[in-house]
Amino acid sequence: MNAPTDTAEARELALAGMGASRLRKEDARFIQGKGNYVDDLKLPGMLHMDIVRAPVAHARIKKINKEAALAMPGVHAVLTADDLKPLKLHWMPTLAGDVAAVLADEKVHFQMQEVAIVIADDRYIAADAVEAVEVEYEELPVVMDPFEALKPDAPVLREDLAGKTEGAHGKREHHNHIFTWEAGDKAAADAAFDAAPVKVSQHMYYPRVHPCPLETCGCVANFDPIRGELTTHITSQAPHVVRTVVSLLSGIPESKVRIISPDIGGGFGNKVGIYPGYVCAIVASIVLGRPVKWVEDRIENISSTAFARDYHMDGELAATSDGKILGLRVNVVADHGAFDACADPTKFPAGLFHICSGSYDVPAAHASVKGVYTNKAPGGVAYRCSFRVTEAVYLIERMVDVLAQKLGMDKAEIRAKNFIKKEQFPYTSAFGFEYDSGDYHTALQKVLDAVDYKGLRAEQAAKRADPDSPTLMGIGLVTFTEVVGAGPSKMCDILGVGMFDSCEIRVHPTGSAIARMGTITQGQGHQTTYAQIIATELGIPSEVIQVEEGDTSTAPYGLGTYGSRSTPVAGAAIALAARKIHAKAKKIAAHLLEVNEGDLDWEVDRFKVKGDDAKFKTMAEISWAAYNQPPEGLEPGLEAVHYYDPPNFTYPFGIYLCVVDIDRATGETKIRRFYALDDCGTRINPMIIEGQIHGGLTEGFAVAMGQQMPFDAQGNLMGNTLMDYFLPTAVETPKWETDFTVTPSPHHPIGAKGVAESPHVGSIPTFTSAIVDAFSHLGVTHLDMPHSSYRLWKSLREHGAAL
Amino acid sequence: MEVKLDKQYPLDVDADRAWALLSDLKATAGCMPGAEILEQLSDTSYKGAVKVKVGPAVAQFGGTVDVVDTNTENRTVVLRGKGADKGGSSASMDLSAAIVADPTNPAHCVLNGSAAVIVNGKFAQFGGRMMVQVSEMILGQFVENFRQTALTLPAPAGSAAGQSGAAEPTGTTTGAASTTASDAPKIAKEINGLAIFWQLIKGWWQGLFGSRG
Repeated sequence: MNAPTDTAEARELALAGMGASRLRKEDARFIQGKGNYVDDLKLPGMLHMDIVRAPVAHARIKKINKEAALAMPGVHAVLTADDLKPLKLHWMPTLAGDVAAVLADEKVHFQMQEVAIVIADDRYIAADAVEAVEVEYEELPVVMDPFEALKPDAPVLREDLAGKTEGAHGKREHHNHIFTWEAGDKAAADAAFDAAPVKVSQHMYYPRVHPCPLETCGCVANFDPIRGELTTHITSQAPHVVRTVVSLLSGIPESKVRIISPDIGGGFGNKVGIYPGYVCAIVASIVLGRPVKWVEDRIENISSTAFARDYHMDGELAATSDGKILGLRVNVVADHGAFDACADPTKFPAGLFHICSGSYDVPAAHASVKGVYTNKAPGGVAYRCSFRVTEAVYLIERMVDVLAQKLGMDKAEIRAKNFIKKEQFPYTSAFGFEYDSGDYHTALQKVLDAVDYKGLRAEQAAKRADPDSPTLMGIGLVTFTEVVGAGPSKMCDILGVGMFDSCEIRVHPTGSAIARMGTITQGQGHQTTYAQIIATELGIPSEVIQVEEGDTSTAPYGLGTYGSRSTPVAGAAIALAARKIHAKAKKIAAHLLEVNEGDLDWEVDRFKVKGDDAKFKTMAEISWAAYNQPPEGLEPGLEAVHYYDPPNFTYPFGIYLCVVDIDRATGETKIRRFYALDDCGTRINPMIIEGQIHGGLTEGFAVAMGQQMPFDAQGNLMGNTLMDYFLPTAVETPKWETDFTVTPSPHHPIGAKGVAESPHVGSIPTFTSAIVDAFSHLGVTHLDMPHSSYRLWKSLREHGAAL
Repeated sequence: MEVKLDKQYPLDVDADRAWALLSDLKATAGCMPGAEILEQLSDTSYKGAVKVKVGPAVAQFGGTVDVVDTNTENRTVVLRGKGADKGGSSASMDLSAAIVADPTNPAHCVLNGSAAVIVNGKFAQFGGRMMVQVSEMILGQFVENFRQTALTLPAPAGSAAGQSGAAEPTGTTTGAASTTASDAPKIAKEINGLAIFWQLIKGWWQGLFGSRG
């Protein structure tokens, strides 16, 4: 009845399911230049938008004269806040419960803020017309420092909030204060400190950086005045949320709004928010009845779209004299810029910063984060990390180093002493997180053995003993835990929408399949890896599984891709949708084989009758039967939808070690070795994991060693081009060594935890740890990023280590 | 960004002629490369424009200049300028300038200038690092134009004209014929981008080896 077949192992291999290093399906089009990005889209009759931006950081707008611009041939419209006012679109809600100006309304709050838009026949005319718009400013005192902003006599930045003593996150204590958010138990932490024999404290500044994706932000808005439908192609990491927001703002029913995220050239958190440019292009298209394209340039992207970090942190640890941590206290002043537009779950204005007790069993902890307005661009997104987790990991990892230094203990030893032990999982932290699984001791030992840690320390001691050594050698060690996969909707929502995600799978009659997702890939390789999950769950070769994302008219609703949530949330939705199909397939197989379901076994790609290897039905056969001869009482077809609301976050972890050699004459730093062990639970595609880790380490290297957004006292951003802003190429990037352990998540359907952000989160403090370690024998406990050659050269001179 | 400049330029021009030029804002502006006074708004207020070119970056600042103070006795002027460029930059400047007679040589004087310049927007972002050098270069050209223009002014009666002529022979021959600034042949009317670039490179090299040496 059935032809002889390959062995189960051979068939499993042929599926290219979970665990296979399947080549990326996306690359064929990208390496041939056949990707389809927003800026590739050209529609008939399409107009172009450009933006008039403020040259100053804080000013009153006295007059805008648009006559000269409007008189230019090819210019269709010039719009200012006054034009948007009747539509009530001159301000818009932010993701953080604040409002942000769409176009500057009477006042400019940061340099490069959007003041007016020009719509013209082409990009060049639009750019020329922008120069013809005359704006008269009355300059106001500029506040660039959040500590200055909180002084009693500091200039009032947000006049629109005058008299508002309650913000979205509680009481506002000052006219430039946004919120103060606390987590943990202050009394318990204070008590631990009162009783502790050893206390350390450290101030550190995590500089403002920018995710700087290679593709800048943009959209093509196309309102069809006949049908009353709005289609917008947009660079968004969360197209469904954009649809909801656009519908709410415009009044167009959600069913008539179609948002499409086509190929996205990197997001890293920068493409989560809704920017004035999008809103203006949509308004312009509705007003003019023609498609309008807006694509920002690099300077606009770095200057005005969402930044990350900008946290001024004070950490304190209390410990026993042999290095057991007793308590943690953290105080943060967070510079949020002119509008609070942080992309965080609604209840968490400082994101998941309270993961800052890290991988350690800390009995008592308290954290307080104070958000402040300044004359900088708004943002505060999770740059390749879960919400504010990078800041949290940096804080705790630095503090553990500072404590080790104070006690004269080894960095590895103090960590092993304080780790949450394998048998303590699931572990509830002092901040209330329930860590799902982990085995930190095994992973740490694996790394220490792999790099010959003792040998490295001996080499360092020898170098320190030699006054003529041309370099300072530093060893950085970080043992981090992330919290990703937001999130349980009882805790996490964005604008009231719970942070579930979704998958719809259809198996076609001939046994191939399509999966549609609420997420959107921006380089992660979803089209490759999602198919592998289905291949393993359903026995359908991944080669014949299409994965579609990003079109709100075809995909089920989802919250999108950021905060490492695709695999932990959408990956679970896929597995569970597939299992629904699997259950139906089993019914059909039982019907076809004329046995009870209980008599069937699943093997790779088929149901077999127990005890009779010759009697089976493959998924391909079952698919055909599902449409053409379903059992009586069972509806035809083979498809399922699943919306997954995770019961908990997932907690990937890693052990990173870095060896640096700092040239004592020039401050130049050579990353001699970087060893990254990651545990992301079940591994879906090892090749993609390795690629993601390489990418994340490289971005971490960029942040730690060079990225910064320097402002002068007048609010000019002095580094908003790629001439200044550090994006490492293959030339600067060190060699990476990767390793792994596998500790599956017990609550995730396939045990996966998410990985792409771990290398960014984990590597940044590793570089700082290594740099500071090189100086530690000179009494240095901390050096702020970026660790550029110039800054290190100054440190070398300051501490008498320069040659 | 803010640039503070404090400069002394010895000139081979007598103090009276130098002051005559300095106290005439329109004529002085004519010495500033790329600058011109477009309109007089009041006794002390003018509308002006400055064009600055650095390599591919061109800024055309349009704005106002106010004479805050003029002191003939001390030969000092205080000016405040404010302007904006259509390409997304703005600038303001507080400048005080003085002519100080050279006690040892009546045919010479010193032009003292101190200025605080604040530049915002694209010009600050692109040119920030070069601001000081570019400003010095512009001032250098201004002073040279100023010197030449002052020498074309009629010499003060019975004074140091002869000595001045001796110091600058061409000045006396053409000086008699030309009395207005616009006729002065050697004045650079626009800032020469290439020259600035060369000056920057030179300055950079000198700085590089100067500090090591």
